Amino acid sequence: MTVRVRFHGRGGQGAKTASRILGNAAFNDGYFTQDFPIYGAERRGAPVTAFTRFSREEITERGFIFSPDISAVMDDSLIADTLANPFSGLRRGGVAVVNTTKAKGSVVPGRDDVKSVCLDLTGQALKTLGKPVLSAGIAAAVARISGINKEALLTAVVDELKDIGLSAEMVQKNVGFAAAIYGELSPLELKTEELDAREELVPLAVVVSEGGIEAVTQAGNSAIRHTGNWRTFRPNIDYEKCTDCMMCYAYCPESAMAVGPDGRVKIDYDNCKGCMICMVECPLKAISQTLEGGA
Amino acid sequence: MATATRFRTLKDMPKEDYLSPGNTLCAGCGGILALRIFHKVLGPKVAWVNAAGCMTVSMSYPLSPLKSNWLYTAFASAPAGAQGVRDALDVLMAKGKLPASEDLKVVVVSGDGAAYDIGLQSTSGAIDRRLDFYYLCYDNEAYGNTGFQMSTSTPYGSSTKTTPATAAYPLGNTARKKDLFEVWRAMKAPYVATLANSHGLDFLRKVERGSEIKGPRLYIAFAACPTGWGFDTRNSVEIEKLAVQTGVWPLKESVNGAVRHTFVPRALIPVSDYLKTQERFNHLFEPSEKTEAIDAIQESVNVYWKEAGAREGFEVKLPGSSSR
Ligand code: SF4
Ligand code: SF4
Ligand code: SF4
Repeated sequence: MTVRVRFHGRGGQGAKTASRILGNAAFNDGYFTQDFPIYGAERRGAPVTAFTRFSREEITERGFIFSPDISAVMDDSLIADTLANPFSGLRRGGVAVVNTTKAKGSVVPGRDDVKSVCLDLTGQALKTLGKPVLSAGIAAAVARISGINKEALLTAVVDELKDIGLSAEMVQKNVGFAAAIYGELSPLELKTEELDAREELVPLAVVVSEGGIEAVTQAGNSAIRHTGNWRTFRPNIDYEKCTDCMMCYAYCPESAMAVGPDGRVKIDYDNCKGCMICMVECPLKAISQTLEGGA
Repeated sequence: MATATRFRTLKDMPKEDYLSPGNTLCAGCGGILALRIFHKVLGPKVAWVNAAGCMTVSMSYPLSPLKSNWLYTAFASAPAGAQGVRDALDVLMAKGKLPASEDLKVVVVSGDGAAYDIGLQSTSGAIDRRLDFYYLCYDNEAYGNTGFQMSTSTPYGSSTKTTPATAAYPLGNTARKKDLFEVWRAMKAPYVATLANSHGLDFLRKVERGSEIKGPRLYIAFAACPTGWGFDTRNSVEIEKLAVQTGVWPLKESVNGAVRHTFVPRALIPVSDYLKTQERFNHLFEPSEKTEAIDAIQESVNVYWKEAGAREGFEVKLPGSSSR
């Protein structure tokens, strides 16, 4: 049987590297294997997708994985992100692996046929690596669930991370991270069945459902993308201190600020990415930051 | 002399935005900020002609932030695309099929990859033909879209994907940044200017000034790139400010060949203050400081400002050696 894994992360979290570590691990364990990311629009903070397939027999499937056996989600804000749609096409009997501290039990809304595995990868990563880079941890989780040998995994962690230029010390820390996650889990039975209807990865349907078919041809329709969920920090304006100098407005790269009829700047939280340029540029220190969401 | 400006303070920045929120570019991107400000001055009637780069990625079907027009061309040929659009508009107007009120400003927008390297040939052709267009280059000093490979705009001492700092090449890139401003000036472009987002009023006025001139006009906008340069997104505008204050990024314009610096720092801040803010220059300070290389960068900045001052009659106080 072919195991199809789809990784969902945000740019910078290591989704692509995770798919490579898993592919390499499966290869070390004697499987045929493929791994590849979607190339194109990904940017730091934006949803990123990467794929791994492995099988004891030669793999004849090619292309994106529309119906994964395992959907590995590196950031729980992606669950509700209609453009990432991480569980689309997840097979009956499949597994959702999610990095989260919030959700317990089932994480896939309306799907009691899939198994959920919830892990606090960010917490582990911060503890062992000192930064929220999750590639080794999530690859280890998927490797363990699908029954890949531990040595094969750890060798792959070393090879792949060395390859992208990590220091020997960081590589060793990642090996520790992977081993810890591997130790937390045990293999799951992967008897899956493809869903009858395939969903699209292309967000066209999302555009139509949010803005109607006319939204597709509307100029400047990107506001329905809602990049607000990229934020780590949230800027807050203290209107008592603000003198309407417009500095913040001038330097917001996202056009995520507007000047109201009352002459006051307002932040569009649906799309503000939380770059925090506005806070740094405000001459009156009228903008402060708070950490987003309970993560 | 230029006519009176409509921009007295930064508060006069037009409040219409022609880019919607929700683009796919990195948070804190200086390139899209430059595009946003540029568009504000030009107004709504613009046809952008784009060569492959980061901005291309933000304008992709089915979602685009742009409220005006966008034509995507191959990497090498944006100025040729601009010629086509300009000619089409002119022909339609000459035939009475398009009212002059619906004319569009034709603007090429590209990164430094297209502007300095791959598109330079078609740029040269467009300048020779005196094409009436603007060229906005958001200069992030490397091929940012494909993961930060060296371009001929990459400065001396910067590490990139293709010029990493290694034992054999401890400085990273050792080529000097190409002087695109002078290339355009040598080709007798009537208007050439450099911009920095951090100097917003200067930015607004230059776009306004260029709008009063016909022919090929170049704007090189310094575009801080948190992803490629390695810094926290919040410092994007501050790093541009530092580049100007250290003299690394001079703000200037050339009108019919006459160069004028539009911002002359009274005293330059040492370049190391700027270099230290970005991971692409980390190897110049770690594990030990590469004083010679930093001094060489400082020296080239000093020579630049000495020569510019001698030509234009100003004096800039220069910092000493970098090793403090
Ligand atoms: S944090 Fe960044 S995107 Fe959000 S309003 Fe401030 S400048 Fe704009
Ligand atoms: S920069 Fe600060 S003071 Fe100025 S308008 Fe923005 S919040 Fe108000
Ligand atoms: S790589 Fe740099 S220039 Fe490109 S979108 Fe990101 S910040 Fe902007």
